Amino acid sequence: MKRGPGGLYATPAIVWLTVFFIAPLFIIVLYSFLRPGLRGGVEWSLTFDAYRAIANPTFAKVTLNTIVVALGATLVTLLIALPCGYYMARSKNQTLLLLLVIIPFWTNFLIRIYAWIAILGNEGFLNDMLQALGLTNDSIRFLYNRWAVALVLVYTYLPYAILPLFSTIDKFDFSLLEAARDLGASKFGAIRRVLMPNIKGGVLTAFLFTFIPIFGAYAVPLLVGGTESYMLGNLIADELTKSRNWPLASAISLVITLVTTIGVMLLVRANGANVLGGGKEASEAKAEQSAPLLNASLVALPHSGGGAS
Amino acid sequence: MFKKFAFTAILVAVTILGSACGGAKEKLYLYNWTYYIPEDVIKDFSKESGIQVIVDAYSSNEEMYNKLVAGGSGYDIVVPSGDYVSIMIAEGLLAPMDLAKIPNFKNIDPVALARIGFDKGNKNSVPFMMGAAGISVNTTRASGYERSWSIFEKPELKGRMTMLDDMREVLGGALKYLGYSVNDTDPAHLEEARQVVERWKPNLVKFDAEAFARGFAGGEFWVVQGYAENVFLEYEEARHAEIDFFFPTEGMPMYMDSFCILKGAKNVDAAYAFINFMLRPDIAARVSDYLMLPSPNVPARAFMTVAPNYEFEDLEKGEFKEDLGLEGLKLYNDVWRRIRVGN
Repeated sequence: MKRGPGGLYATPAIVWLTVFFIAPLFIIVLYSFLRPGLRGGVEWSLTFDAYRAIANPTFAKVTLNTIVVALGATLVTLLIALPCGYYMARSKNQTLLLLLVIIPFWTNFLIRIYAWIAILGNEGFLNDMLQALGLTNDSIRFLYNRWAVALVLVYTYLPYAILPLFSTIDKFDFSLLEAARDLGASKFGAIRRVLMPNIKGGVLTAFLFTFIPIFGAYAVPLLVGGTESYMLGNLIADELTKSRNWPLASAISLVITLVTTIGVMLLVRANGANVLGGGKEASEAKAEQSAPLLNASLVALPHSGGGAS
Repeated sequence: MFKKFAFTAILVAVTILGSACGGAKEKLYLYNWTYYIPEDVIKDFSKESGIQVIVDAYSSNEEMYNKLVAGGSGYDIVVPSGDYVSIMIAEGLLAPMDLAKIPNFKNIDPVALARIGFDKGNKNSVPFMMGAAGISVNTTRASGYERSWSIFEKPELKGRMTMLDDMREVLGGALKYLGYSVNDTDPAHLEEARQVVERWKPNLVKFDAEAFARGFAGGEFWVVQGYAENVFLEYEEARHAEIDFFFPTEGMPMYMDSFCILKGAKNVDAAYAFINFMLRPDIAARVSDYLMLPSPNVPARAFMTVAPNYEFEDLEKGEFKEDLGLEGLKLYNDVWRRIRVGN
């Protein structure tokens, strides 16, 4: 171990994480074991009521619904992001394409959701077009269901998936693909057996970057969802502001934090084991992969806990 | 904790800034609903009285209450709804109201005053506006319905209706439909009400208190539960005749927003002057015109120039929402959570 001023350099980061992540997380954990205050806030007496309430099957339903929507939306996002990242990595206009991916961030997130409402609405763009083409007579209701929620979520988090995938694929040595083809692999086989194992870290980062924020989604299901698209994020907000049960809200947000942390750990472990078994070249790749992964877990965790704040 | 600190910091900053440039001018800190009092009315008050009014806005009773409980002080007047008036009285947040300092109090309809249960005798509050959420129907789309809560049971309107994302309004409606009080806390009655709402729920697109009016104006929703002012504001004016806004025959929950002076208010005299000003007939009429709501201020009705969205008499079958008490609140929360979460 090298001794140096490294620890000193880390101080700002440590202070930042302590003040804005560890301390709030500690408060959330603490609150989840307290009694709800009569009119909001907490009373200082120990109870497991919040966790007893979570054990209720109706909560399992919301959790399940959240997992289904989040997994579905994340997988679709990855399926779209993979070819995008691949194309960008091979393109000569990388800067332009990168700019195009980032441009949506120039507009506020909520405004982009409302734009979707304007597109999918009853008198929206899509319905107007379908009617102008004579395909339908009356407008179709696209909004206010689980599909609309998934669509807007995919749209929102697509850039978060494209960017890490692009940066990983960009580092990939494409002559390896040619070598695979020379050795008799089919085009698809080469992608599956040579490209995919090498960009696994990027895929994992992209997965975490999309799955974790979607798992804590609040605004999207609220605005474009219907009665059946109630997600954990909405539950937390309602418990905090309407029912004023802060311990329950804390307990639910801890569930989100736990699910995402365990998910991250399992994925890292699965990925790590695989990489270690892959020989020299793969272990070199590991060094590259662990960096974005670490970033992912650090950035993503406060995000999920943030649902309660 | 942090919230409390941040809030205090902001307040201190505001106070310092305020005192640095304000001079000797008298001030009043008003914490009010968004878009509730037209700006020119406040300006006119400042012109007449020389009192500078600093307005802060909230969009729900919960938001206002949470902020005050989290340590927000420094306001002189708040405008909570009836159920929150009683909560805040119980919590000791309100200063006593000296009605002798508000001569215009006599303008308020005695019919309205007689129905107040949340602060009998107006010891801590002075009524400002009253109203209720009703049901709006797009008559170009729906017909052959009764003006009753039962409209939410009609299968032919499935997927075209919304109710408010507000447990007191939805459960209150179901309780009225069953013939109970909107403040009923009998668990058996609440269970019946829950079953009624569960019957309505499959026909509803969503519980929404934010964007339902826009959806209604856009033709997305044909039947919405909500406040008339929201619905009529969003709907194209030339087509207002298409809207059938009604209060269900069985009755409905009703609100009364009242002026209250906070305990520890620094500008009590200015607060009384403001409340008295707001109850002046010509001023109350301007507010009612702006909101297109009937006025609980009797002489103000003669000054109104805009036809309100419904008449004061229409509110007769309504019932004020009162504080449910802690046990009652817990029961409502549990029932509402079951409705919202289960599917």
